Amino acid sequence: MGALNGLKVLEFGEFVSGPYCGKLLADLGAEVIKVEKPGLGDRGRSWGPFPGDIPHAEKSGLFLFLNTNKSGITLNLESALGLKIFHRLAAWADVLIEDRLPRESVRLGIDYRRLKKLNPALIVTSITPFGQTGPYKNYKGNDLVSSHTSSEAFGNPAEGVDDIERYSPLKGPMHAADFMTGLSAAVSTMSAVVSRGGNGSGRHIDISAQESLASVVRQELAFCLCEGLCPTRQKGRKRRGGILYPCRDGYVCIWAGPHWQKLVAMMGNPDWAKAEIFQNPATRAEHMDDFNMLVELWTREHTTAEIDRAGISFDVPLSPVRTVKELVADAQLEYRDFFVEIDHPVAGKLKYPGAPYKLSATPWEIQIPAPLLGEHNEKIYCGMLGYSRPDLVRMRQAGIV
Amino acid sequence: MRNLPLHGIRITDFGQMWAGPHLSQWLAVMGAEVIKVETHLRIDFMRMVGTPPGFERSDFNAGTAFASLNFGKKSVTLNMNAPRALELARDLIKISDIVTENFGGPILERWGLGYEDLKKIRPDLIMYAGSGYGRSGPHKARPAYAEIVEAYDGSTYLNGYPGGEPATVGVSPWTDATQAMHGAFAIMAALYHRNKTGEGQYIDAAMIEGSSNFLGEMVMGYTINGDLGERMGNRDKTMAPHGCYRCRGEDEWVAIAVSGQAEWKALVKAMGSPAWTKKEEFSDELSRWHHQDELDRLVEAWTRGYTQYEVMERLQKAGVAAGASLNVKDLVTDPQLKERRFFVEMDHPVIGKLTLAGLPWRPAGRKRAGYRYPPLLGEDNDYVFGKLLGIPAAEIARLKDDKVIY
Repeated sequence: MGALNGLKVLEFGEFVSGPYCGKLLADLGAEVIKVEKPGLGDRGRSWGPFPGDIPHAEKSGLFLFLNTNKSGITLNLESALGLKIFHRLAAWADVLIEDRLPRESVRLGIDYRRLKKLNPALIVTSITPFGQTGPYKNYKGNDLVSSHTSSEAFGNPAEGVDDIERYSPLKGPMHAADFMTGLSAAVSTMSAVVSRGGNGSGRHIDISAQESLASVVRQELAFCLCEGLCPTRQKGRKRRGGILYPCRDGYVCIWAGPHWQKLVAMMGNPDWAKAEIFQNPATRAEHMDDFNMLVELWTREHTTAEIDRAGISFDVPLSPVRTVKELVADAQLEYRDFFVEIDHPVAGKLKYPGAPYKLSATPWEIQIPAPLLGEHNEKIYCGMLGYSRPDLVRMRQAGIV
Repeated sequence: MRNLPLHGIRITDFGQMWAGPHLSQWLAVMGAEVIKVETHLRIDFMRMVGTPPGFERSDFNAGTAFASLNFGKKSVTLNMNAPRALELARDLIKISDIVTENFGGPILERWGLGYEDLKKIRPDLIMYAGSGYGRSGPHKARPAYAEIVEAYDGSTYLNGYPGGEPATVGVSPWTDATQAMHGAFAIMAALYHRNKTGEGQYIDAAMIEGSSNFLGEMVMGYTINGDLGERMGNRDKTMAPHGCYRCRGEDEWVAIAVSGQAEWKALVKAMGSPAWTKKEEFSDELSRWHHQDELDRLVEAWTRGYTQYEVMERLQKAGVAAGASLNVKDLVTDPQLKERRFFVEMDHPVIGKLTLAGLPWRPAGRKRAGYRYPPLLGEDNDYVFGKLLGIPAAEIARLKDDKVIY
């Protein structure tokens, strides 16, 4: 039994952030009905990666991963009946996750004000680039835009660059910003879910991607607000730790900081480490560039595998810069049964990332793979909402489902 | 505050550094009473990171990084080397709903405060243990920081400019944030279950396992096609233009993402339909993608004439996704964040007036949140040990003298 068993969720969101929010709920046992547009469905279905690079709506890796444990229906909200059905589903649900711009929600007839009248206890989680209020509320965005409007990109790469005029601020890898927005939405949604029993009244959770990302930069914002610091991508600005050093066959990331003595021992106690300037944290921080250069002399002489082993022996926080290949074959993750194999009727058996947390009493669990497009139409429209089979055929013919 | 969603929930919080405190910060802002257990013997490192003007690094009540992660909480001090302190911790946990910790190893277990011990005194307890690699397996004791886990999980390898070297993600500890928030989510799910069934549980959360979920697309690319991925910087697999472009001022940039032909036409019109846009190589989506080096140069020649907000507003009005690439100073004055009151203000007894980043979540229907300032070290000893645990003032004074409450 999952922790969120009994929680009813309607998901009307696509690509990454809305679906990740829905996945977090679904993988802990919530009953999630995902609404997709007829035809192409969720944009994630056309994203990939696809086996052999041959596009197929049921074989997109991103979609398969983000939509486990959900039932899938198709519905055209532009039709009168489509909207009516959506409203019936909103009346059934405890939570709606949606990602339309505010003006679009109003146009479609699914804005919070309207839904609240149908289901006063409904929790509506709206995920948009800039939020439901403010001058930019109807502005478009995506992973790139929210990475930049939040200042997340301005500090990337952490090591800095030689020439800030030539090298622009940089967004993070893959769709990291969209995932962070989806996670913010899931945490925020849970606050309303937990308190729902109390007063029975619903809530509108207003998630802005810009704020979800800016919140991560909170420490640098504090340095700015309290001390007037405003770092840019200048090389050598990183002072505490988590620095990349080149090795014989790649890179290693080492966190020196308070682990300085263990690191020196790991390097075989070189003479330079006895220098006066390296003896206390304050002067060490001032001479961080020299320190990093000297560490690099050592790392360049060793392979990533040697340094990895030495890090374990000397208890120094470090890791080689690894690829996904090493991640998927990782012994620690294997020991913890992290990756899970999921059998999908069209895509077949594949290895997926597994539980982000291990709950002892109500474990994270995959019950069903991501839905085929419209896979649960009959179950939901006939079984749950009571339409007859001939009516479902008519709805299909009319392009409503 | 009574109408906050987690009102009435008490958390004994052994979290430290970044991920642990950020986790309980979410729950504190949502109304939980978070009691941070600290000690003078080993002060949370973050109390010494970031020093406002006029203070020393050793002024641990003035640390700004700590402030950004700990407002809305209470602080007690306990010297866990003293047996009486362990008793006090146990008494506090007895009246807590949740215990959170992110120690580098089984410290709580060593103190006799592991989950197996604690569930005997509080059967419906929810206990959260956050760590780099998880509390089981060959790397269970390996020290971890966000940057280390990012190298380990493959995100550093994929972070960087196209054709360039791998680079550490961002300047803020990204994976600490993913860890904190996955943790807050799991705890509230466990709370939902407890409220329904009366059953508590233990949550073992590894940073690497949460962060690997954020990299689901990369993992699937490998398990499907053996693809290792590549560094793409600001670029996209399909869209072009999709990048970050120089604007008029010094180190001033704007991000632009153009999807499909209609948005391209809108961009062309917004740029004043320059002749180069009619070239054959920019006539369709695929051709633009293949010629994006040249395309980016030409778009940038246009953006250079304007400020980042001018480009953003002009393109957004035309229906094209664009956003100013802001630095932290710009965020403070950004009109959108300002209008939405993203920043929160509080009066701090040591620092004075304090403005900090809020959370993406805020209380319903409240214009000003009114959070308590980040606690001074041990500030709430009298309240917690006196009022909550009912220990007489004279005994509290003695425990302080004996460095039990310390």
